[in-house]
Amino acid sequence: MTADPQKLDISTFLLSSIHDMKNSLGMMSAYLEDALNESGRDETSVETPARRKTAQALYEAQRVSNHLIQLLALYKIDQSFYPFDPQDQPLADLAREALARAQPLADSKGVDLDFDCPEDLYGWLDYELVFGVVVQTLHNALHYTRSRVFLSAAASETGVIISIEDDGPGFPDFLLEQGNAAQRGISFETGSTGLGLYFADVVARLHKAGDRTGQILLANGGRFGGGCFSLLLP
Amino acid sequence: MSIRTQPPPDLSRTSFLIIEDFEGMRAILRDILGRAGASRITLAASAGNAIAMLERQRYDVILCDLHLGQGKSGQDILEEARHRALLAPHAVWLMVSSEKAAEMVTGTVESRPDDYLIKPITETLLFARLSRQMAKKRALAPIEVAMREHEYLKALRLADAQLENDKPHAWDLKRLKAELAMHSGEHGMARSIYKEALDLRDLPWARLGLAKIHFNEGRFEDARQELEEITGGNRAYLEAHDWLARTLDKLGDQDGAQDVLQRALATSPRAPLRQLHLGEVAYRRGELGTATQAFQHSIDLARNTPLKSPRAYLALSQVQLDQNHTDAALKALAALSGDMADNTTAQLLAQAMQIPVRLKTGEHSMAERLAAQLAQELKTEARNLPPEAVFNLAAPLLELGDKNTAAALLGSLIGNNHEHPEYLERAQTIYTRAGLEDEGRELVQRSARAASDIMNRGVKLAREGKLGEAIELTREARAQMPNNARLLLNHAFLLIAWMERHGRQTVLNQEARTCIELARNLKPEDKRAGELLTRLELIGNDFETPA
Repeated sequence: MTADPQKLDISTFLLSSIHDMKNSLGMMSAYLEDALNESGRDETSVETPARRKTAQALYEAQRVSNHLIQLLALYKIDQSFYPFDPQDQPLADLAREALARAQPLADSKGVDLDFDCPEDLYGWLDYELVFGVVVQTLHNALHYTRSRVFLSAAASETGVIISIEDDGPGFPDFLLEQGNAAQRGISFETGSTGLGLYFADVVARLHKAGDRTGQILLANGGRFGGGCFSLLLP
Repeated sequence: MSIRTQPPPDLSRTSFLIIEDFEGMRAILRDILGRAGASRITLAASAGNAIAMLERQRYDVILCDLHLGQGKSGQDILEEARHRALLAPHAVWLMVSSEKAAEMVTGTVESRPDDYLIKPITETLLFARLSRQMAKKRALAPIEVAMREHEYLKALRLADAQLENDKPHAWDLKRLKAELAMHSGEHGMARSIYKEALDLRDLPWARLGLAKIHFNEGRFEDARQELEEITGGNRAYLEAHDWLARTLDKLGDQDGAQDVLQRALATSPRAPLRQLHLGEVAYRRGELGTATQAFQHSIDLARNTPLKSPRAYLALSQVQLDQNHTDAALKALAALSGDMADNTTAQLLAQAMQIPVRLKTGEHSMAERLAAQLAQELKTEARNLPPEAVFNLAAPLLELGDKNTAAALLGSLIGNNHEHPEYLERAQTIYTRAGLEDEGRELVQRSARAASDIMNRGVKLAREGKLGEAIELTREARAQMPNNARLLLNHAFLLIAWMERHGRQTVLNQEARTCIELARNLKPEDKRAGELLTRLELIGNDFETPA
């Protein structure tokens, strides 16, 4: 049916390989999470080096897994067959689920992870895409923060705003500039952070209502003096 | 600051069915549920196993993997379970998938699971979704019960009442309300809900809803525009592709229809009805190879599902015959006979359709013998045979000189479809080609007139207030023309008018309902069926029609 069967084979092969890798990493994450839980976390014990390394390995596995999921989603969006499916979703559930995903890393680093979100707040969003952005941003914040990461969701004048703040050194200047560049649709190639930001920007802009479009904002300062990432959805 | 983690829900009294082919995943799901006190957990490793379990017990929650290796998918099991009413009204169906798939968006109420869970499945995710969906299904269960009873009016009223104080489910309820309104012929109400939704956001399901209204009211060009808005942006919206193909069919754009179907099949090939539709379009375009393949796919995919019907087998046999593949044509008929052993019409067709094949292979005497053997049964069953089969069989029968059986077949076909000019023309062509032009004209005119005379006499008797006589007339005619949509609706109309005057009667009520459902299957786009259902529902009920 296709003019170039060779080409189809390669893209199919790539897609199924990414799936396979993603599933393997999912299993690896589950094992590492079990290992962390089994190594005990009673009141008196401090974090042992082994536990810290396991948590670090878990973080790396999840990071790669998230990147693969993002690549798959971006590919599908680009080829216009991502099943974009925005619905009214309870943001408190989304926040709790994202925090549960980031908790092991926060524990191992001794970082205080918390959130604030009204129970009756609903956002009109594609759950999987926005969840991907939030988890990715939490992981990023945990990596750079000193002592705390805070997730919040609130109603805004034009929709909802989801923010992730920390008390680390904040985003470097080049990233703040990149954040703006991404919103102007300019491509950039610097390292792995590029993918995360690009993904967040694509996800934000898929969400539309009337003439309003979602967007991401990067800033320094905020409540805790560190980085502040915001996702605004109409 | 909000509570950090929710306490786990109490699942000790909830029954679960886990359908998952991968043992590791079954164990993970069972362990998570166990942490919330669940003990009534049944495990199924395959689709067949799952169906057997669903037949035995009504579960509160079904966790089902979308992809179960070879054979039936989770979506197939869900549709079969709904079709065969194996689910309790409050049952929650959660579909588990490793990624977001095209099947997950814009399905209808009948085809959607309650929610999708994307792997990895964590405790937080599972408990949050379970609590939400169980609460939602509890709230919506009475509406579900009414829908199952085809009491759409009652379901609409319940949905309205629920909307008053259920903000979290407001859009679920509105979407449901719009679908209910479509079922009861209330296109205006459905349209205003879809428009309200589209004013807020560009929602594919709302746009699809509008397109269906355009389609049903015959505005195919408007339908096409709405549908292309959806499919142009994203090829994951499969149902919109199917409707676009149907619309292009109506607009006479065969190339476009085939293109749309092939795009949808590239995204999701495991859809027997879509394959059948592709086969029919490709056949009309003369792409016999594509048609052959599509019909075969359709047969293979539908074989163990409720979607199985003789249509794909007969089409495959015909397209093979057109290519002079007579062995393959016979094989398709043998498959029909084997796969639908308990269906007498299918058995008759599997034998009768050998007649044109035997003629082509030069086995004239065998064809003759078959025709003689089956003549009586064909005459009795004529009114129940599918039109395409009748057309394909009538010419060979004339060739064999069996004018009687051919006339019985075509006469019944016309009686069932007296308002279908294309069918009348095709029947005439068959006679003309057999050198029997005048005989054909006489038959076609007589059969069509007989049908319309009955309609007119029924209407006249009803106008004169002789409802009982009118009902007798249409009831008798129904026995002769069981697949005439207009007659079915007229008969239902008379029964309803009678009950509106004399009160509800269970037997008549059931008769009217059956007629309406049959007519709806024959002519899904006729909104009179929905309107009559609403009137039927109102008899003996004191609630008023919705605004």
